[in-house]
Amino acid sequence: MKLSYLFTTIFFVLVANFSAQAQWKKEKTKEDTKIWRYDIECEGIAKQGAKLVKVWSYSKNPKHAISSAMRNAVHGIIFKGYAGGGQGCTSFQPLVKDPSVEEEHKEFFDAFFAEGGEYLKYVSAATDGSIAPGDRLKVSKREYKIAAVVTVMSDQLRKRLEKENIIKSLSSGF
Amino acid sequence: MKQPKLILCLLAIFSITIAFGQAKKPTLMVVPSDAWCIQNGYSMTFENQGSTEKIADYKRAFQENPEVLQVISQINGMMADRGFPLKNMESVIKTISSNSAEDNLRQSKESGSDISESPIDEFKKAAKADIIIQLTWTVNKTGPKKSINFNLQGLDSYTDKQIATATGTGAPSFSAETPVLLSEAVLSHMDNFTSSLQSHFDDMFENGREIIVRIQKWDDWDGDLETEYGGGDELGFVIEDWLQKNTVKGRFNTTDMTENMALFEQVRIPLYNESGNAIDARRYVRDLSKFLSSAPYNIPNKLVMKGLGRATIILGGK
Repeated sequence: MKLSYLFTTIFFVLVANFSAQAQWKKEKTKEDTKIWRYDIECEGIAKQGAKLVKVWSYSKNPKHAISSAMRNAVHGIIFKGYAGGGQGCTSFQPLVKDPSVEEEHKEFFDAFFAEGGEYLKYVSAATDGSIAPGDRLKVSKREYKIAAVVTVMSDQLRKRLEKENIIKSLSSGF
Repeated sequence: MKQPKLILCLLAIFSITIAFGQAKKPTLMVVPSDAWCIQNGYSMTFENQGSTEKIADYKRAFQENPEVLQVISQINGMMADRGFPLKNMESVIKTISSNSAEDNLRQSKESGSDISESPIDEFKKAAKADIIIQLTWTVNKTGPKKSINFNLQGLDSYTDKQIATATGTGAPSFSAETPVLLSEAVLSHMDNFTSSLQSHFDDMFENGREIIVRIQKWDDWDGDLETEYGGGDELGFVIEDWLQKNTVKGRFNTTDMTENMALFEQVRIPLYNESGNAIDARRYVRDLSKFLSSAPYNIPNKLVMKGLGRATIILGGK
């Protein structure tokens, strides 16, 4: 009888430990994304109304870096933009030019970039999910810098932000 | 019974507020640059007082070059998507010539009179827009490798300022055809172009529309801009004082001032008048025209306009 109590207790402790660890890892990934630690660069000319970008995300777990790439890519198009470069890329100015706008519309952006949030509507993976060997870099003993190529529907994203009055449309005021 | 009337009144007030809240929208048109037209052989040559001059032949460019149509169509589509449909130059040229033919044939049913048209009216029959998007591209070839050098300039028709730009060279390709490279060039440059255009509009909403004001005088008028009025100020200074009072933050430059003419540039006018109506250069300068024709100046004058951004007052009569 006592043995079965012991096994049940050990079982619950282990389950609690696993779920706590998983939750901690998830929180850690969120934290990396929360401070928006990523680099974004143009990867080529996409179809009309979209941008093809390569996003370098940082994480201790390569799997988490890939999952946060989509969120980072949408954030990059809205707030960071990118410089031009090869493959016919020209520089791209962010949709929101004033960084304080993120704080002003905190409620909207928190919901927008939440886990499974609306940002997913405006981004898709451009490759089959495989990472090229040169796109997986170990930057320190415990940290990876991993690139993913994604397509961001920049025109739809712009229209969404215009609808929320976060940015002005070209014809507003006329 | 009273309720529908009240709703109608509220709707009317709402629509008036909406209409007053809109500034006058500039028209935009894509035009192939003179450099592109001449380089590609779409030009006309004529002798002007001993020197040979070349001018762009837009009609032939539109009729004979499908690439220019493709690029303009793509730019028009992308601008329309942003709520800014452009005037199509090819259609404008056709409309002008068909209107001209109609006007030549039209006669009054009662008197048989023709349409009244002065040489100035005839001269003004040209394809025009408030902002011209000047388009230039060249195909660079190194052996089998091709790339496109693309340049898009937004030019204010009245102030002659470049208000928006996007330029650069696309990625070289061994296999892609020129139309494909051109399409890529438009896709990669339009965002930058609209972004700089947006900055121009933001500046306009903040600091007012920039216009040009010219003052001239009829040859038979006995006064001039150096004539002294009332308190002893010359007419030129009276006009400057009026502009100082009526421009946004007192912004304007006196570029030229003689006894016969004055040229004011970078005149920043408000987008709306006191009653909330959207105004352009003509509406704005009409107030100056009224000011000069009233006491103590009593100068009869003629107001001439050119689009949203240029107006001229000719002193001494209509």
